[in-house]
Amino acid sequence: MAPPAVKKPQKTKPEPPKRKSERPRAASATSDRARMETFVQQFFHKGAQLTEELLQENEHLRKAHLQLESENAALRTQLASDHAMRDLLRKIKQLEKEKDELLSHVHEAEMQSTRFGARFHEMEEELSKLANVYVASYQLHSTLNLQSVVKHLKELLQQLVGAQHYGVFMADPSRKHLLLVAGEGIDERKLARISLGADDPVSPFAERVFLTGVARITEGPLGHASERAPAAVLPMHFDDRVVGVIVIHTVFPQKPSFGAVDFELFKMLGAHAASALAGALLYAAADTKLPDATKLSSARQTPVPS
Amino acid sequence: MSAEYTCLVVEDSPMMRQLLVFALSRVKNLKVTEADDGVDGLRKLAGNKFDLILTDINMPIMDGLKLVKRVRSDPMHKETPIIIITTEGSTEDRQRALQLGANAYITKPIQAPQVIAKVKELLKMSG
Repeated sequence: MAPPAVKKPQKTKPEPPKRKSERPRAASATSDRARMETFVQQFFHKGAQLTEELLQENEHLRKAHLQLESENAALRTQLASDHAMRDLLRKIKQLEKEKDELLSHVHEAEMQSTRFGARFHEMEEELSKLANVYVASYQLHSTLNLQSVVKHLKELLQQLVGAQHYGVFMADPSRKHLLLVAGEGIDERKLARISLGADDPVSPFAERVFLTGVARITEGPLGHASERAPAAVLPMHFDDRVVGVIVIHTVFPQKPSFGAVDFELFKMLGAHAASALAGALLYAAADTKLPDATKLSSARQTPVPS
Repeated sequence: MSAEYTCLVVEDSPMMRQLLVFALSRVKNLKVTEADDGVDGLRKLAGNKFDLILTDINMPIMDGLKLVKRVRSDPMHKETPIIIITTEGSTEDRQRALQLGANAYITKPIQAPQVIAKVKELLKMSG
């Protein structure tokens, strides 16, 4: 495509100086120039002002940009931190769960330990009870010597049961009297021989237990036990027959009440004391001679009474 | 292997002695020697070192108080812990025994767990 034609400026002749009559026109030109200059000055002033404003705006935008970048960086950091936080929270939750599980295990182990502890305690008590009964029974039957049997019986009552004032009574052959065979702290003038069936019995509890065969044992505190209200009265059996009673009037102050082991000892005494005493009496009556072994041999053939 | 402890039980009543020995058999690694009375106790103590002595107070020939006094005057057993066993609430005997150098006391009727606990305490055994 051809370039557009450029119009050549025409040469004009310079205008001749103006005459007097042309003077208003000159004044007007001056005024125009002044206006032009004013306009130019104003134009440049405005331009400078605009430039200044632009620079300020630029500076403002630069600062805003910097601020936004900073905010952006902070947000990025926060975002990263949020992730870390989420991870941490997840970890905490997991650890909490593990802690709960562990606590549950610990609680279970504690419960089991408590159960074992209680069971162990029970077994220890049971063992102690058995040991007491075994030792008492062993000692009671370890001799046929009457004095030794009585001594062991007294020791058993004093040291294992904790009896302070007590009496061991055996019925006479007529079964009308209970005779004191061993005791401690007993008023012998009054209780050496207890008549049964009297209107005003000396020891009503001893009589009742002998006649019924049912033990009378104080359950609970023993502080108020006395001769009139004994701590325990126990029947002594020989097979199914009651042959005597053990009366425990009082116990030592450090024994507040009868425990499980005492009840076991009472049962043992009821079943074994009379036979130990009777055996020792028979042995003494036979001048400490052992029975003829041939009789024992023949007893093997004799049926046991039902 | 755990250390073995030795204990001398001085008690004239065979029943109580048997019961004490039975209770002490529940203490691990404890070897028990028995003596019938104070004199027998002294005989067993002569030349033998024990970690613990359990003695009754009321005994014939030589009672527990005399035994405690003798034991404490013997340099060999000066530091040996002594437990006395007293009947009823015999406070005077107990006080006297403690003054003479006994370390602890147990009152009759004895309870095996109580004996075991006291022995373990004096022998500084755990459990």
